[in-house]
Amino acid sequence: MADWDELAQALADYTVSCNTNERLRKMQRDWSRILHFVCSDNATTFSMEVDHGEILSTPAGHVGTPDIIVTTHSETFCDMFWGDLNPVQKYLRGEIAVQGSQEDVMRLDAISYVIWPDV
Amino acid sequence: MAHAEGLPPAPSALRRSVGLATATATSAGLAFAAIDYLGVVSVLVYAPGTTAAVAILIGGLLVLLVSGIFSELNGLYPSAAGIRLYLSRAVGNRTALSLTFTYMTTIVMVIAADAFLIGAAIRHVLHEPSALAYVWIVVLLGCALAANLRGVRLAGWVQTIVTYTVLSGTAVLSVIALFHAGSAFDKPMNLFGKGTFSGIQAVAFALFLYAAFEWVTTTAEEARTPPVITRALFIAPVLIWAVATLFTLAVTHLVPFSLVHHSAYPQLLMGKAALGTVGELWMLALTVLTALNTFNGGFLVASRFIYAAARENNLPRRFASLNMKAVPWLAVSTLAGASAVVAAVVFATGQWLLLVAVGAAIEAGIYALGSLSLLILRGRETRERPFRLVAGRPLAAFGVVLFTVLFLATGLSDPKDASRFSLAPIGVILVLAGLSTCYVLLAVPRLQAAAAARAAAGRPRRRPARAAAQSDPDAAPRLDL
Repeated sequence: MADWDELAQALADYTVSCNTNERLRKMQRDWSRILHFVCSDNATTFSMEVDHGEILSTPAGHVGTPDIIVTTHSETFCDMFWGDLNPVQKYLRGEIAVQGSQEDVMRLDAISYVIWPDV
Repeated sequence: MAHAEGLPPAPSALRRSVGLATATATSAGLAFAAIDYLGVVSVLVYAPGTTAAVAILIGGLLVLLVSGIFSELNGLYPSAAGIRLYLSRAVGNRTALSLTFTYMTTIVMVIAADAFLIGAAIRHVLHEPSALAYVWIVVLLGCALAANLRGVRLAGWVQTIVTYTVLSGTAVLSVIALFHAGSAFDKPMNLFGKGTFSGIQAVAFALFLYAAFEWVTTTAEEARTPPVITRALFIAPVLIWAVATLFTLAVTHLVPFSLVHHSAYPQLLMGKAALGTVGELWMLALTVLTALNTFNGGFLVASRFIYAAARENNLPRRFASLNMKAVPWLAVSTLAGASAVVAAVVFATGQWLLLVAVGAAIEAGIYALGSLSLLILRGRETRERPFRLVAGRPLAAFGVVLFTVLFLATGLSDPKDASRFSLAPIGVILVLAGLSTCYVLLAVPRLQAAAAARAAAGRPRRRPARAAAQSDPDAAPRLDL
């Protein structure tokens, strides 16, 4: 079970990876969303504000009204944000649950795929 | 509301979510494609005259059983990947993958059929040479391809308006046709007039009119509340039943069967018989409108399935390639290309009713598999779900038998001649299923092995070692340097 410090570290790395990837920024330039995350094992929650493809903040707790809600184990979140696992495989096994439009779910995975195409 | 197995539901509400009207429109819109007008002709082949309406009613009642079964499955796996999840749990991952690949080919067929039918209808109204129909088909698929590659999506409210316009427009013109003087209904209560088996086949083809209504379950993740999808699954078939029945009666009333039997645009013939050129243009406009839903929904569902399969290493990674609009361009382009090829084959052979028979059989097969999945999962899944089918086990067992019979009834039918059997529909399905199975057994293990080798030879884990020691076993291997 990962605690908030580990999650925050993973999120910080993910933010840098996303915001410095030019192709991703261009691809997501029309994508502005608020994401909520729920750790199913320790009830930790956090949010992510994306504005025109740029991750502006990743605060603890739920901030704003979400466009997407992602629920899974804290360890899976950590591995996902570090780029160490393929989110689609987890999603297709029912281990990551997502609420949101199909388009947004696709965009969310596209971020991981563009940053870490080898995973 | 989606939640992973054993996980608590998320507490927040989405900013944008799908309500009952939109979910119902999605379900009805996916089902009521241009090919449904031909589906009515297929029912009429086996159930002459007004008895087709009886077949459509019986088909509708059976579809309500399907609604119950898919509602419970959707409650257990409220995900766009739901069908993969419950088939995997019920019959194993490889079988599920093979079946899902086969199922997805129906989307290609429906897209191809709609492109062909709309192209043929436009050509007919414009009085162009028949060869120009294929030009229209290419133009339609080209427009759909371009829109999809640019990431253009129909907004939910546009889809809702389009669906209700098509349904109400068809119903209104059908009612006008029914009040048209000078014609008469034909052969009342003659459902079994061509033998008992023809009655079963009529019901099986009637099921096709509702086909794909269950695809609304792929929007479960954006539903406002879980019951929204369940309610849509029960309301949409009622709307389709009402419109299909009115259209069937109108066609029976005004157009000789010999005319519609060999026509790719029976709706235009009915429109013209009811209101002349105005009626013909009316039905042409509605036919073109159906393409918006078919192309929008069909391309979206199928291309995202291909993308996910490629990301899962079940298809070559190239199929997950994204363009700058975050659209899986190779998946979308392949779909359009495959649809154009199928449409060309239909155009060259004139076997459009064979597509209806294949589609009807595959749909009945999917209903049988859904019933089987519920039957198996009732013994394995103890989780609470928002909908639980009353007498679920006996009804699911009944569904397995019933829909298997209907699968065989359509799979062995000659779509043009009720007095003959044909191996063509089931032959096409067996070829598709055989190709899918061979691919899953031979190609997928190689792709998986290549992916595993890539991962082993790839970069070390990025997550710091202390935390990684207790992390997910599916995560990339850590290289101790």
